[in-house]
Amino acid sequence: MSGSKPDILWSPHHADRYVICDSELSLYRIGAVGTSEAKAGALPLSQETAATLLAINSDTPYMKCVAWYPKHEPECLLAVGQANGRVVLTSLGQSHNSKCKELVGKEFVPKHARQCNTLAWNPVDSNWLAAGLDKHRADFSVLIWDISSKYSPEAVPAEKLRLSGDADSGMVVTKPLYELGQNDACLSLCWLPRDHQKLLLAGMHRNLAIFDLRNTSQKTFVNTKAIQGVTVDPYFPDRVASFFEGQVAIWDLRRFEKPVFTLTEQPKPLTKVAWCPTRMGLLATLTRDSNVIRLYDMQHAPTPIGDETEPTIIERGVQPCSESVISSFAWHPSTQNRMVVVSPNRAMCDFTVFERISLAWSSTTSLMWACGRHLYECTEESGEGGAAEKDIATKMRERAQSRYGHDTVQLWRNHLLAGGNDPHLRSLWYTLESLMQQYTEDLEQRQQGNKQSLIYAGIKNIVKSSSGTTETRRCWKGSDRPTDVAQYHSEERSLALQLCGWISRGPEIDVEPFLRSLEQEGEWERAASVALFNLDIRRAIQILNKGASAEKGDLNLNVVAMALSGYTDEKSSLWREMCSSLRLQLKKPYLCVMFAFLTSEPGSYDAVLYESRVAVRDRVAFACMFLNDNQLPRYIDKLTNDMKEAGNLEGVLLTGLTKDGVDLMESYVDRTGDVQTASFCMLRGSTAEVVKDPRVQCWIENYRNLLDAWRFWHKRAEFDIHRSKLDPSSKPLAQVFVSCNFCGKSISFSCSAMPHQGRGFSQYGVSGSPTKSKVTSCPGCRKPLPRCALCLMNMGTPVSSCPGKSDEKVDLPRDKKLAQFNNWFTWCHNCRHGGHAGHMLSWFRDHSECPVSACTCKCMQLDTTGKLQPSDYV
Amino acid sequence: MELHILEHSLKVASIAKEGIQICTHGLIKLAFLPSKTRCKFFSLTETPEDYTIIVDEDGFKELPQSEYLSVADATWLALNVVSGGGSATSSQPIGVTKIAKSVIAPLADHNISVFMLSTYQTDFILVRERDLPMVMHTLSSEFTLLRVVNGETVAANCSGVTNGFVKPKLVPRPIIHPLSSPSNMFCVTSLDPDTLPSVATLLMDVMFYSGGGKEAGAQNEDSGHIRFFSFSLIEGYISLVMDEQTTRRFPNNVLFTSASGELWKMVRIGGQPLGFDECGIVAQISEPLATADIPAYYISTFKFDHALVPEENIQSVIGALRTNESTGQ
Repeated sequence: MSGSKPDILWSPHHADRYVICDSELSLYRIGAVGTSEAKAGALPLSQETAATLLAINSDTPYMKCVAWYPKHEPECLLAVGQANGRVVLTSLGQSHNSKCKELVGKEFVPKHARQCNTLAWNPVDSNWLAAGLDKHRADFSVLIWDISSKYSPEAVPAEKLRLSGDADSGMVVTKPLYELGQNDACLSLCWLPRDHQKLLLAGMHRNLAIFDLRNTSQKTFVNTKAIQGVTVDPYFPDRVASFFEGQVAIWDLRRFEKPVFTLTEQPKPLTKVAWCPTRMGLLATLTRDSNVIRLYDMQHAPTPIGDETEPTIIERGVQPCSESVISSFAWHPSTQNRMVVVSPNRAMCDFTVFERISLAWSSTTSLMWACGRHLYECTEESGEGGAAEKDIATKMRERAQSRYGHDTVQLWRNHLLAGGNDPHLRSLWYTLESLMQQYTEDLEQRQQGNKQSLIYAGIKNIVKSSSGTTETRRCWKGSDRPTDVAQYHSEERSLALQLCGWISRGPEIDVEPFLRSLEQEGEWERAASVALFNLDIRRAIQILNKGASAEKGDLNLNVVAMALSGYTDEKSSLWREMCSSLRLQLKKPYLCVMFAFLTSEPGSYDAVLYESRVAVRDRVAFACMFLNDNQLPRYIDKLTNDMKEAGNLEGVLLTGLTKDGVDLMESYVDRTGDVQTASFCMLRGSTAEVVKDPRVQCWIENYRNLLDAWRFWHKRAEFDIHRSKLDPSSKPLAQVFVSCNFCGKSISFSCSAMPHQGRGFSQYGVSGSPTKSKVTSCPGCRKPLPRCALCLMNMGTPVSSCPGKSDEKVDLPRDKKLAQFNNWFTWCHNCRHGGHAGHMLSWFRDHSECPVSACTCKCMQLDTTGKLQPSDYV
Repeated sequence: MELHILEHSLKVASIAKEGIQICTHGLIKLAFLPSKTRCKFFSLTETPEDYTIIVDEDGFKELPQSEYLSVADATWLALNVVSGGGSATSSQPIGVTKIAKSVIAPLADHNISVFMLSTYQTDFILVRERDLPMVMHTLSSEFTLLRVVNGETVAANCSGVTNGFVKPKLVPRPIIHPLSSPSNMFCVTSLDPDTLPSVATLLMDVMFYSGGGKEAGAQNEDSGHIRFFSFSLIEGYISLVMDEQTTRRFPNNVLFTSASGELWKMVRIGGQPLGFDECGIVAQISEPLATADIPAYYISTFKFDHALVPEENIQSVIGALRTNESTGQ
């Protein structure tokens, strides 16, 4: 601190008081803005706080440094180091305090005058005050004064006091308790909190030295340039920061030979370096004429190990009071991360450093973040009535738990496993169900390879290959009136209708079963429109009537039925005119398209085809009936592209599980993130081209990772099994082999099928030794396998895993036993003892040490994955 | 004990009294505006004969070349003894006395010429750069030698070469040069660099104008007073040596004074200019003082040497030195 630039000191015990010292000492109290007594003359420090000047002390000129008495009593006692080396005790606003009175005004005078650079109270023995002085050729640079020492007349002859200019010589002390550091200057010093008898000095001769007052002739020291402002980390008593010009060095007192690390050098000389007293490992530095306080967060380096490890430090700058230059700052002693900053013109600013936020997602949608000492958790609201849709991760997790995707017999049930409330998934699984049905029926009935691929390929490809279309003009059912509506038929169109679910297999086009099923489900409007599209107005009217009279039926359906019964094909009729305009006001899409169909010109059914609220399968079926060979592929192409763009799973009906289907699924995953559905769906695609698509592999891998992250290891295994059934190429190859200690060959039977081992094994295999021994001995050299440390039986490999071997080797009762995990080999990588997995697991349930006597290896504790528990139990 | 070899390359120069005007600009800059130069080592000593300047190379550039400026034709290095132990042993004897036996005498034995500059803070022993190997060889047994390089203190290893060095001749050192003791008393003091601007004009007056001209100085000398003033600014530390009358011109509390307020008397060595080649002069004076445990400051100038001893000891000092003188003759 120099005389002109103000410095700032917090009271060690009053969290609301601080002192600004420049040419005089000013005591301030900080308080909230607007508190009663703070009104008059309060200086605003921030939006919430203001400071009130309590007292000014200008008794001590030539101040160089100030230190606040660390104990509660007497409060507000300050030691002031002056330019001539004297240390004066003074006080602020405490005139009534008797104990203080005794001390205030006491002076400690060095033999030879020179500047006092630094002061430090001993944290334990608070009578001790260390003063660091500039160098004098014949004097010590560190003087430790005892403030309670009485004036001793023999120490200072009266005539020698002529220069002290102090009438009350009783207040002058000239005999220090200790003197240290001859012929050197002390620029900075601090007491070591671990041992209050020890003092760390930074001297002029470029060294840092630790003195022990119990034996002052010995010191530990290190040569360094960084000798200004030594300060001990309050949270880590062996960590010390010291600086020199623009550089800060961090020391570990236990390895004092060289700095643990140095911080990036600042272009301007540093003026203050201070550890945050409320936050571990946070160091603030200030350079001259700067408006930025740099903060170094050393959270990640509490104990640096080894010489070369460079600990991670996060550096950032804070600008507490916009553009104005900072003269000094002081951390608040108790409020976290708070500081008061003072500018050269004494403008002050109360400032809280905002804590870095570290954030972590859990694998189960909860979010946590830490800010300062607070930990916040944000979890998804699981309330049933929650309006917000659940996150896809939560959905997938729940679906994984309900075994979604695993129903391979009734594919449509998977949408129920998924919760049954997602229309997209419902449509998808029904589509896949029908695709699969067609596929299997095809296989059974025709055994013709040429059409199989088409069926999984979706309607788009089916209609493309359409040929031999016949055009018919049918009459309205139950009337002789011919219609001018052309209908088209072909084998492929029928197939498409089947896939859409309108008709069942067979040569006839009979929608009656479909209509009945729709009626059963109460989808009256849809049933009516399907009936209408099959030119059966009477049936449609009948359905509507039924719908109106059904439980909770909509009576409006009767009105619609009435309107429908008035149908006339007269082009200019009032009916037609009114229907075509009023149909737009109908809320139900199926009712709307019914009238659109009736009022549209033959061959142009855009109002039906592009009514997006109508299910894709119905629109496609409609298109297959009423569009000619030119219009149909164009319409299907357009619809397919729309579906792909929107990522609408209904489009799978069109694309099938082809490349197109992957494109569609890609945009679905992009939109929803639902890799689960994508994985299960595409695995059914089974053509190599589809499953090998990198996107599909990516979804599958991501889904497996998700299951791992949720610790759904059983689900993962199930998924892998499911996957390998549908995609045999995904079966993982054996990666770990157990080799025989004697011959070095793999002992697993499956490996013995490999050519290089085959000969040796078959040679021994027929040599007629008992089957039992083969299981527990090496198939290569017949030597016994190691024994289990617990049951002392030789371990063995399950024979069942040896496919294609002669039957005599299969020991059936053992087979089942061996196939279980309990009989697997397991051993500790550390002590190399092991045994049957089941035995080992049960042993370590009750013990921590290895079962082999005299082995103290804590095998299970070394196994980090052994401690993880799956979150899904089967 | 540690011996620090500082990194300043020093020049020793003399400015004739009548030529001081042309140098004042540079000198004021060096003395009062340290931030305007890169100079780290500056000392100015006024004696009745001349001004002696010790300045590092950066500072030397500030001085104009002129006929009044004579420079000793060598580069000097400053040595500084640090009691590395920091032991709480008695602080007496201080200054030159402390290092007389350990540094000055061995150097004199090896015929190494030294130039002394005592300040308030410490004592600098200046040796010629070319003598450094010899100095290091001589002192390596007694000291940990440390060299300052770019602000970092590093261990300086002695070359270890002993061949070619002359064996020291251990002869008694009689005092050859005449001694005189002026009557005025001196203060060795310092001040806070922050307060330097406030007394700068006063210091300038003392340095350059208050000599009262040549004739006044001569008169003073006749009446037993000597005109002697030294100012140094070395690595940011100010040291002042001035006589008691001059100190009274300074405001209260500006000058650092010791608690005991000690005053010093001067012993001036040399009847005619001593030159730079003769060795052993400092040793001749400091050794008897060390033997008698008398603290002293020692300031060499271009022409003569000056020792400062406590006022109460002056008689015993003169006595001790005279004895030495007589035994030498």
